[in-house]
Amino acid sequence: MRAKLLYHTDLDAIKRVLSQKGVAFEPDVVMDHVVYMFEIEDCSRVTTHQLVRHRAVSYDQESQRFSAATREGVVTPPSVQSNDAGYRAYDEALKAVYGAYEKMVAAGIPKEDARYILPGAIKTKLVMTLNARSLMHLVWQRTALQAQWEIRELAATLHLLAQEATPELWTKIIER
Amino acid sequence: MKVLLAWSSPHPERTIAVAMRRCYSTKPIEDIETELEQKGPEYWKYLLGKALQDKSLDVLEHFVLTLVVEEVAPAEMGRLTRNFPYLRATQLGSNDWLLTLNARTLVELWKDPRGKSFAETIVAELSQKGVCPIFSELAFGVKVNAS
Repeated sequence: MRAKLLYHTDLDAIKRVLSQKGVAFEPDVVMDHVVYMFEIEDCSRVTTHQLVRHRAVSYDQESQRFSAATREGVVTPPSVQSNDAGYRAYDEALKAVYGAYEKMVAAGIPKEDARYILPGAIKTKLVMTLNARSLMHLVWQRTALQAQWEIRELAATLHLLAQEATPELWTKIIER
Repeated sequence: MKVLLAWSSPHPERTIAVAMRRCYSTKPIEDIETELEQKGPEYWKYLLGKALQDKSLDVLEHFVLTLVVEEVAPAEMGRLTRNFPYLRATQLGSNDWLLTLNARTLVELWKDPRGKSFAETIVAELSQKGVCPIFSELAFGVKVNAS
């Protein structure tokens, strides 16, 4: 999994406005007005299904209607990797699924229909734009110990990128 | 009503094009950005025109504007944020606001009689600052000389 910050709001521009209007800078005042656009690559569709439950976020994701799926592009969870019998079952299932997908496409089934059998493990790419308030809620919820391992990794990475870009907004995570 | 631009997404038309290409490309983001730089503004214009024509307005959401809005009473801002729930408004003074919206919401304001005059004021400010000449021309028919 890889995440990259494509742009973010210039916090100084917002602070200048507050200063001109005599309003004190507080993270809570500007959190609706500071946005981040991220590229996320090579995480599973299992994880992006969790990600898109977060609201007030704009997503554009690689479409399976148009791009062909390949066997190489899957995420294997650590619990599967470290379990010989489990990994064999996983690998056999993927071989069967991708074998069927390739046969369907070769037989003329449109990719938008052949994709119905693709696994949740398939890697995907997307861009996502959201404000600091939505991102903080996502980070608070998805870095929790109860969260699933892959989205925890993703949320921790997004948190780090946002914190580097706008440290003044990330001195503490406000729980909501 | 007075509208002043505080900040906007860098390279708005290219950013929208990145979001469009993300849907159809399997390539890493750096390759998409290189491709868009090589093909240049005419290609961004082609993609943006296609998004507007197909009403695939989701890609416009990655172009974000933050504005200072002055001389708007709380009742009027309340009406706007009720009718257009994706507007984010923070009161800075009795009639002054910090307002953030994306380009999709701007298009929706423009097309709706309840938001048209507000949208026109925003578009005039964007034109004056030369922020998004291609977008302004395609979405609103406003000819702008890029700064």
